[in-house]
Amino acid sequence: MESAATLTRLVRRVFYRLVVPVVSIAAALSVSGVLIVVASGNPLEAYGAMLQGAAGSIGSLATTGVRTTPILLTGLAVAISFRAGVFNVGAEGQLYVGAAFATVVAVAPLGLPGFIHVLLALLAGFVGGALWVAIPAYLRAYRGVSEVVTTLMLNFVGIYLISYLIDPITGPIGERNASYAQSALVQETARLPVLISGTSLHAGLLLGIGLAVALQILLRYTGLGFRLRMLGGNPTAARFTGMNSSRQIVIAMLISGGIAGLAGAGEVIGLRMRLYDRFSPGYGYDGIAVALLANSSPLGVILSASFFGALRAGANAMQQATGIETSLVLIIQALTILFVIFGPLRGWVATRTTRRAGLTPGGSESAP
Amino acid sequence: MGRIGCRGNQEKAGVGSTDQQSSAPELLRMERITKRFGDLVANDEVTFEVLPGEIHALLGENGAGKSTLMKILYGLQQPDSGQINLDRRLVTIRSPHEAVSLGIGMVHQKFMLVPNLTALENVVLGVSSPRPPLLELRDPRRRLMKLAEEHELAIDPDVPVWQLSVGAQQRLEILKALYRGARLLILDEPTAVLAPVEVGQLFRVMRLLAAEGRGIVFISHKLSEVKAVSDRITVLRLGRVTGSLPTAAASPSILSSMMVGRDVSLERVSPPVQGDAPILELQDVSCLTDRRTPGLDSVSLTVHRGEIVGVAGVDGNGQRELVECIAGLRPITGGRIAIQGRPPKGALRTIGLLGLIPEDRHEQGLVGDFDVAENLVLRAYGRRPFSAFGFLRWNHIRSHAVEQIDAYDIRCPGPETKVHHLSGGNQQKVIVARETQEDPALLVAAQPTRGLDVGAVESVLNLIRGQRDRGAAVLLVSTELPELFAVSDRVVVMHAGQIMGAVPPDPTRLGEVGEMMMGHTIQVAGDGGTAA
Repeated sequence: MESAATLTRLVRRVFYRLVVPVVSIAAALSVSGVLIVVASGNPLEAYGAMLQGAAGSIGSLATTGVRTTPILLTGLAVAISFRAGVFNVGAEGQLYVGAAFATVVAVAPLGLPGFIHVLLALLAGFVGGALWVAIPAYLRAYRGVSEVVTTLMLNFVGIYLISYLIDPITGPIGERNASYAQSALVQETARLPVLISGTSLHAGLLLGIGLAVALQILLRYTGLGFRLRMLGGNPTAARFTGMNSSRQIVIAMLISGGIAGLAGAGEVIGLRMRLYDRFSPGYGYDGIAVALLANSSPLGVILSASFFGALRAGANAMQQATGIETSLVLIIQALTILFVIFGPLRGWVATRTTRRAGLTPGGSESAP
Repeated sequence: MGRIGCRGNQEKAGVGSTDQQSSAPELLRMERITKRFGDLVANDEVTFEVLPGEIHALLGENGAGKSTLMKILYGLQQPDSGQINLDRRLVTIRSPHEAVSLGIGMVHQKFMLVPNLTALENVVLGVSSPRPPLLELRDPRRRLMKLAEEHELAIDPDVPVWQLSVGAQQRLEILKALYRGARLLILDEPTAVLAPVEVGQLFRVMRLLAAEGRGIVFISHKLSEVKAVSDRITVLRLGRVTGSLPTAAASPSILSSMMVGRDVSLERVSPPVQGDAPILELQDVSCLTDRRTPGLDSVSLTVHRGEIVGVAGVDGNGQRELVECIAGLRPITGGRIAIQGRPPKGALRTIGLLGLIPEDRHEQGLVGDFDVAENLVLRAYGRRPFSAFGFLRWNHIRSHAVEQIDAYDIRCPGPETKVHHLSGGNQQKVIVARETQEDPALLVAAQPTRGLDVGAVESVLNLIRGQRDRGAAVLLVSTELPELFAVSDRVVVMHAGQIMGAVPPDPTRLGEVGEMMMGHTIQVAGDGGTAA
């Protein structure tokens, strides 16, 4: 009996957590469907083609996984910062710098066993991302400068820094005499293993999933996670417990930046095997959307990143089958986020869960 | 006059107003107003009236229903039943806009001004320009300056509001209301934000306005001010009118029993053996406020084991800074603080040293989105048994919560209830439970009963008394004198960042405390409270 009640509670909780994202996605798909009709297409056909392209075969599933990996990691990066009440919108820049750090380690013929070389490259990626966010972190924690501005600005600095680094003529890690701006090839020992042979699905996806689980555990079961959630929940109350908020802000931002750096590292040593100029089509920004859709829950990020990854993977198939532009997926993505942040939907969930608790919202003393 | 007026409508005998129409029809009559919020009855058949030229004080503790009544009058809320008569005409006030057009003006506690606009621009904001679409400021400026001059409300019309002092902003709010033709002016706790000198000025302005025949509703919970300025006093308690009488006939004891509903019924328990070990020592402590103005000015104070020292004073006279300095949350610019001989920095992170009940429950004391169990270990989560090797032990945290919920009678469905769903009293119990669970040597409680209903006040004060009896040193900061006198062993009075003096909690000494709260120094015989 006891366990049955617990199970019901759990199901109910999961249900209320899923209401907002699922309804948002459904609404976004409906509105986009109208757009397709306006463009004289058939929405069902288009979505069918998209589904086929995203999950119709082992190959398309692998493509979905490949597309999911970077935004899963940047999504986690953004989510962990959101949970601590910090708005790191600089995952894009941290991803680039992380990628550059990982590249330096990965292209070096270190003569190490593969496993260790890969770990070192990933570690370098983490360090690079963390370093890139260290400046905004210091400014936010000890000088009160808004991290939204500083992290965002450093995105551009980071992107152009990488352009300089891999310049074929002047760049310190650029491949000499190459026709493109690119780094040298990643050593065989530094490459992430491919999960399904014949596809490009690499172990970065497992890294992301493992990290999501680890972050979920961190937030729920560790003292550090408790501090970060306290900081995100009410920074003033955190201060009144004697907590050193500045330090926690720095820690949260370093973790966040490091994970974004991992996303860059994963792309280099898992998929592209070189550092290219402008290799990210905005994974860092997509991470914000992914985190928002997941309401900053690490496990939720797995789902939301997969959804956006599947959209991307299915976009080409949709275009081939129906002639509808792939940019439709950007519209779907944007609409989804709009519905997520749409107040009444959240309000409905809030009142429902409040009523379940058998209480009136706000407590009685707030009324007069 | 009103047939139901069982309490009001006394002849205005002894009322210090200058108008001669003692039988004047009332300007405002709110009749049997009832307003509920869920289970809470904020206003219960409240009848309230204001005569022209009358300063009518609305007195009551926090949460007594004063603000609700005035929000109804100003159209911000609709009554569930009852009616409002203005000039003996039944009116329905659906919005502040309608209230203004009926000649009702309100100065809110939190000013409704646009900081970037000038004083003059704020005044004309929302009033249609005489020459639309152009903004015509010449006539408004003339009118504004005339109003300012007539009512001793000095204002510089061209200064952006953010540069104005709080007192000047308040004058501007009053001018704004007058500019819109207010005949009935509601002042919601106007003195809370003012320095004593400014309070005097405000009172003069209020009398001037009343002398012109306007009605003024003066909301306050400070007896001394109400006595000083009003013509008539209506007391609200728990949403009901407990009395309405001319100020001349009101003594502090009558009023406080009407307000509190008990003749300071928190009976004094004879103080336990006074340990003489000093726990908290402050020596010539000075600090700055958030706005970099002087906050504390050379404060010296000692609290001993087994003693409750009450800190009285009008809000904003350094109490907040005092508490934060002691808790190590605000740097001091001079002097020395010691808690059991140790500096306050890190005191909150030391086990069993300092319990802190902050003045703002929601902002400083709780994480609203955390559940009760989490809030109960907000400070102790990192220690055994709640944590081991950096990992939280939820079974211990949860069973601890179950124990505390029982021990402190926290009314909630269970440890997993989010704390923002709890009522104020129960939220406060969560904080008290958390801050006392490790038997701290020093307990600092800032406004611990603010906004609580009477029952919750009793139980919170009893918990604090229990800490004293256990041997803790307690510093109790409160603006509620009856409460301070009921539980303290010694009361010190703060004014303008200084401790003006100390008195034993003898009800006959209330007057002295009032004087000191106004900034007067008094030679106190015996009981050298500020001994270093």
